[in-house]
Parts: sequence; C-alpha cells; structure tokens
Amino acid sequence: MIAAESIGFSAGGRVLLADITLTLVPGAVLAVIGPNGAGKSTLLRLLAGELRPSRGNITLDSVPLSAMAPLALARRRAVVAQSAALAFPMRVQEVVGLGRLPWHGSRAAVRDDAATGAALHRVGIAHLARRQYQTLSGGERQRVQLARAFAQLDGAARPAALLLDEPTASLDVAHAAALLRALRALAAEGIAVLAVMHDLNEAHFVADRVLVLSEGRPVALGPPEEALAPTLLAPVYGLPFQALPDGGLLPEYGAIPGRGFAPPGPTPPGG
Amino acid sequence: MIARRALLPAALLASGTARAAAGPARIVSVGGAITEAAFALGAGGQVAAVDTTSRFPPPVQGLPQIGYMRALAPEGLIALRPDLLLLSDEAGPVQALAVLRAAGLPIATIRDGAGPGAAEAKIRAVAAALGLAGEPVASAVAADWQALDAPIAALPRRLRALFVLSATRGAPLASGRDTHADAMLRAAGAENVLGDFAGYRPLSAEAAATLAPEVIVMMDHTIGEAGGIDALLAIPALAVTPAAATRRVVAVEGSYALGFGPRAAQARRDLTRLLHPGIALPELPARPWA
Amino acid sequence: MGVSLSLASARGIPPRVMALALGTVVLLAAMLAGILLGPARISPGGFLAVLQDLLGIAPLPDAFLRDAAVLGVIRAPRVLLGALVGAGLGVAGATMQGLFRNPLADPGLIGVSAGAALAAVAAIVLGGTVFGTAAGLLGLWLLPAAAFCGGLLATYAMERLGSVGGGADVATLLLAGVAVNAIATALTGVLIFMADDRQARDITFWTLGSLSGARWAHLPVLLVLVGLPMLILCTLARPLNALILGEAEAFHLGLRVDAAKRAAILLSAVAVAAGVGFTGLIGFVGLVVPHLLRLGFGADHRIVLPGSALLGAALLILADLAARSLAAPAELPVGVVTALLGAPFFLWLLRQRMAGAGP
Repeated sequence: MIAAESIGFSAGGRVLLADITLTLVPGAVLAVIGPNGAGKSTLLRLLAGELRPSRGNITLDSVPLSAMAPLALARRRAVVAQSAALAFPMRVQEVVGLGRLPWHGSRAAVRDDAATGAALHRVGIAHLARRQYQTLSGGERQRVQLARAFAQLDGAARPAALLLDEPTASLDVAHAAALLRALRALAAEGIAVLAVMHDLNEAHFVADRVLVLSEGRPVALGPPEEALAPTLLAPVYGLPFQALPDGGLLPEYGAIPGRGFAPPGPTPPGG
Repeated sequence: MIARRALLPAALLASGTARAAAGPARIVSVGGAITEAAFALGAGGQVAAVDTTSRFPPPVQGLPQIGYMRALAPEGLIALRPDLLLLSDEAGPVQALAVLRAAGLPIATIRDGAGPGAAEAKIRAVAAALGLAGEPVASAVAADWQALDAPIAALPRRLRALFVLSATRGAPLASGRDTHADAMLRAAGAENVLGDFAGYRPLSAEAAATLAPEVIVMMDHTIGEAGGIDALLAIPALAVTPAAATRRVVAVEGSYALGFGPRAAQARRDLTRLLHPGIALPELPARPWA
Repeated sequence: MGVSLSLASARGIPPRVMALALGTVVLLAAMLAGILLGPARISPGGFLAVLQDLLGIAPLPDAFLRDAAVLGVIRAPRVLLGALVGAGLGVAGATMQGLFRNPLADPGLIGVSAGAALAAVAAIVLGGTVFGTAAGLLGLWLLPAAAFCGGLLATYAMERLGSVGGGADVATLLLAGVAVNAIATALTGVLIFMADDRQARDITFWTLGSLSGARWAHLPVLLVLVGLPMLILCTLARPLNALILGEAEAFHLGLRVDAAKRAAILLSAVAVAAGVGFTGLIGFVGLVVPHLLRLGFGADHRIVLPGSALLGAALLILADLAARSLAAPAELPVGVVTALLGAPFFLWLLRQRMAGAGP
C-alpha cells in the first residue's frame, strides 16, 4: 500500500521530518502521536501526496506518489483534514456527495447516490442530511467530513487508504468512541487507516501500530503496548505517565499552582 | 440572414419628404454655438431638442434635453424623430455615432472651432446643412469681429491672463493653448500665461508664481462652485499670483464667452472691456441674435 | 433559500433543471422587454411589420422604416451585446468567487478590469498620436482591441507574479492582483494627466459603461471571445465545487488545483476583457448575480455557473433598458444603473456576513 522509505522534509532551511520509514497495511490502523510541532500533520500531508518529500520516496503499490495523477490518487486514498470550513453554505448531503467527485465519468459513478447514503448511515448522520453544514456543531462537522471520505472510498480498488488528522478532536467521548469503531470497521474491509491523534488512550484503543514522533524524528513504531510505554513517552512529552491495568495511560499533571496550594500573590507572613 | 431592409435602412430615413426645399422640419442640435447659429439663421422653430451645452437663446431652455454631447444616446435621439441631427464635431462617443449612421439618421457634423473666423465658418456650415442662406448672418458676425481688431491691436501691451476652468478640488485646472479659452484671451488682447502647454493642466503653486498672471479669468458658475472670490484667491496656486494681490478676477459666462458662435464679437468686446477698462471700442450694431 | 428549492423538490424536479429553466425564462423575458421597450415607442403594428419583413412574409411598408431602424439597428444588437457581456460577467464573477473561496470576490481581483481600463484610456488619449497607425488601421476597433489585450496582459502578469515556484496559493494571487491593479491604476493616472479635457470626459464615461455603441459586427467576435470561455468555464463546475471544501481538500479529491486555477483565471479574463472593450467598465453584475443564484439554489457550481450566465445576461439587458429609458432622450451610463442596484445589495450582503460571523 502506501509506503514511505526514509523520507525527510525540510522547509525554509528547517528540518521538519527526518528518517521516517513506514508502510500502511491494509486492514490495520496506524496511529501517529507526538507533541505539538512534532511533524505529525506534515507527515500526513506527505503521505497524502500534498507535499513532496525532500529526501526519500513515498510510493503507492510501488508507484511513486509524485508520478501519480491526482485523480488516480484520489481513487485510492481519502483524507480528512482538521476542521474544514466551507466557502459557501451547503447541505450535509451535498458535502458528503463531494466525496464522489473522483468517480465522475467512471463506471463507479452509478453508485454516487447509494455511496453518499451509505456513508451518511455509516457515520450515523443520516438524520442531518438536509441540514446546512454551517449550522452544525464542530463534532457533527467532523463526522460529515468523515462520511465524505467514506463516500470517496466507496468502490475504490483495494488496497485503499484513509488518512485522518485528529479525527476525534472536537468529539465528545461517546462520539469519539463511535468514530473509532467506524474506523476499525473500515479497516476490517481492507482499508489502510492512518490517524494523527492526541489522545494516547484513543490511540491505544484503536491502533494496531503506533508511530511516536518527536521533533520530526521517529521515537518508536510498533504495537501500542511497546510504543506507548511510559518510559518511552515521558521524555517525548516531558511529563511522567502512569500505566493503567488495561494498558491505558494516565499523564501525571503534577501540582497546579493556585489550586489548593499557595494562594497567588505575595507569600503570606510566616510562610 | 436578417432582412436587408430592416438592417440597412440607411439613407432611407434621410430621403423622402422631409428634406424638401423647405429644409428639415425637426432638428436636434448638439453644441451650444451650433444651436445659437441655427436660431440666428431663423431655424429656431424647427429645433426639437438640444444638448446640455445649448443654453442660448432662452427658448432652448424649454426644449427636451438629450444629455451631455459626449455621451449621446442613439435610441433617445431616434425617438425624437429628427430629420436632421446637427452635431458639433466635439460630440461623441464615436461608437454611438456609428450606430446613428447605421440607423440612417441624417447627420450634419459642424466643426466647432475657435479663434478669428471660427464663428462665421460655423454659421455657414449650419446654414448649408439647413439649406438656408447663411451669408447675411455670417458676414455680419465677421464684420462685427473685425471692427474690434484695430483698437485691440493698438493696445500698448498684452495683459498676462490665466484662464481657470475649475478650482473645486486640488490644483486649479487651467487652460493652455489649443483651447477655446486661449483663443478668446488672445482675441481680447491678453496673453495666455499658460500658452506653452496644450490643453487643460492642473496648476501648481510654483508654476503659478512663475507665470505671474495679472488677471484670472473664470466662468461665473465655477467661482460659485469654488466658494466665492475669497475662497478662490485663498487656493495656494492662485494666492501667489499678482492677480490675487490686486483681486483681479474676471467672470464670464461660459457658453457666451467661449462658444465662438453668432455672439462671438459681442463676447470679445465684453471681455476686452473687462480686461482693459477704459479702452475705446467701437459700438457694435444691434443684432437680433445677440 | 427554500422557496424555489422546495418548490422544485416537491414536484420531483431536480433543482438544477429548475434553476436553468427559470433562468432561461427570465433571460427570454428580459430580451423581449429589451426589444419591445425603450424611449422610441414601437407600435404592435410596427413590430409585426418588421417581423414579417424579417421572415420574408411581407415587405416593410415605408411607414415603419423608423421602427425597423430602432429594432434592427439599435435594440437587437444592443440586447444581444448586453446578453453576451452580462453572461460573461456573471460567469466570471461566479468563477472568481468559487476560486478565491470568497463571496465578495469579483473579476476586478485578477487585474482584468484595471488592465483593460489602462489600455482603453491609452487608446483614448494616445489614439491620435502614438497609436496613430493602429488607430487608422483599426478605427472603431482600436479601443475594444486595446482593452482586450490590456485586460489579458494584466491578468497574465498577475498570474505569473502570483505563482512563484509552480504553486499559486490564493493569498499570493490576491496580493499579486492588488499590485497589478495598483500599477495599472497609477499608469492610468499618468495618462489622465496627459489627457485633454475632452479625453478626460471620454475616460469618465468609459469607466461608467454603456451599451450605446452596440453593432451587429461586434457580435460574432463577442460570441467567440465570451461564449467559448463561458462554455469551458461551465465545465469547471466540479473543480470549483471541490474548492468549496478548501484547496487541500480539492487536491485530495483528485483535482489538479493549480491547473484549474490557471484555467479559471485566464478564461474569466478573456470573457471579461472582450466584453469590457465594447461596453466600458460595468460593475456589480459579476458580484451580485452569483449570490442570487446561491440564495435560490445553493452553492453547487453546476447550477451557479450556467445560472450566472443566464441571470447576468438578463440583468444587464434590464439595466440597459433602464439606462435607455429613465433619462430619455438622454441615457444614463449602464454602470451607474448596475451600481445603483448592486451597491445596496452588496451592503446587505456584508451585513449578513457580519451577522453570520457573530457568536
């Protein structure tokens, strides 16, 4: 599927990513985690074909991404970026229908309406179909964008890939859980999923493998039990973690000034 | 193709009954001096509509207005059903004129010139277009003009004058050579201080100080628009002139003084008197058009 | 937005068909009004006589020669000129708004108007001197030809300046447009300074727009230079739909974003520059018309682009009818009419946006 071989990316003389080698496996979910500025979104844009790597190669089924026409690429991989704002008001149904654009003029176009409907159901937003996108909450919009990506991959030749940038960012825990389950179901259909995530527990829950990035370099790539080890993550985030019995992680925030400790302002006499 | 008659009626409108010996029955006249000439020639009764620059004689003020002469409206003009369009060569736009010609409207273009001889040339051209005898009026206008030549030529020196077209915003817009204002200043025994430049030019204070006009000539309504004489002379480019020091501002009525129509000689006489008080000029005979 | 849309869906008619059918009816009605109405009154009998002559049924009686001239020489080419130019402005406006993802965008952003104005002013001021040979050769075609070339050159310069290193992001393109506009406006200022009084007034009137110079000979030229880019622009509906989501998203959906941008910009420039040369600057049609479409039928460019062509044509024909009639026998500049209609709408739009951008 999509494979990156020791890729690096520099912009404006700064190295944003270096020495990344990974393969997206059909049927598996890869989570990418790391502190802000670690290069997660840059990696996603490179794998999407949006940016060209400064070093190394990215291929889809052994063909370099740079040699693929955008349309051919769009029929094999979908991307859900962070918080897309529409330039003009549209209904949810229309937004999801835009996912069918790559199939215009192909035989798969006969499935346009069916694929749109199926995607709406799959993400659980069929009841929003006639709503204006602009009137939705952040979480609802996120699910619309996901449905749009689902519609895009409907009928795609396998293996296909879905790349997501913080898909649960504006979802409450229940909707986040539902979305993660939907991603697993999609993976079960033979789609390779890559999700940039912030919540380590969600990564633990959904991912087959986790890539930990720090300052543009890979720190770990492996199953969650290995890559999400507290000893490994502590230096990455500069924060100690506590392992939970089920394999989850609890960050130890430490004392927060002003809350039950010394009151703000000058130290009281005798203190 | 679309029918030849509907598309090519050129000359058809012009032919027929309208242009019999009696001359055109409905004239649309465009250009102040040209309208005056038509009236002076006795064809005023046939003038059906005029443009915004036609303000004299008084009967024109009751006529339908076709708008500004450089923004002619083809359909509006045809709707007036004229059998002759008397057109100043200043009229436009050329694209609209092309449409009018294609529509077959009879058009007579009259050169709207300035300077000695311009008025009688205009009258002769209008007379020819109307099929009238223009000579009596034309030669009377020429005689009146020439009667002023000798005393003006005998002036000891030319007065240094500046013609200001408008002074409502920014630098005043002044007349250089090749303008009607320039021609009238020369005819009235003045020297246009801006004669080295062609057309209308914004005047800077420095240039005005160098040019040093002794008198400022303006159209009466533009003095009002500028806020009166005091406001006018406070404008830096004018305040620095000798004319401002002596408060010599001469107001003229634009279409009268700059039109070079039938009243050109009277306008020349009046402006000369304003510029050179005390000059002895011959009495001009009373004329029905003046 | 619902009325017409719900009307359409209630009867099972797709909104696209509904919108285009409605637009065609409005355009035909506007054309009919443009032909039948105006300061020169044409009696039904006169109209019938001219029609019969056209169809070869009966020769035109001499009494209706004037009616034939008004209909055949003045109104018909004028209505068709208005239709072509208005359609071009409408489609170009819709394209610009879609491309720049901004409902307040119009063709002026890509420098085409300022470039055309600079060249037109140059033709007016220097037509007799510097361009003497060209003027003699081209005659009445000098100004439209100059405006066309000027508009295209300015847009080409803007597109080159705005796309550094192959890619062209919208913000850079907009800034390049601002720069090209500023340069063109400054050079126009130099020419205005050189202009004499009469030329200065011609320039003023040119910038206010007018269809009064409409001739049959212009129409085949415009049909090609406006009609062709318009048709190709309508095929950009899907790429523009993808751009509603964002530039990166459009790429994710398989669009060659830079190629689509370049095509959209250059084709819009051709359509606008060709029209502007014959009519002078006409504002607000390109801004307002796409909005009316979106209000009625949603943002789908498969509706907005052809719909803007139909409605832009209808709007300019009606604005010209008003321009011909309101001050008769004089004529208002048509740009004044479209601005008088468009500017209040624009303000309303701004207020809507501000209200929408609230909490």
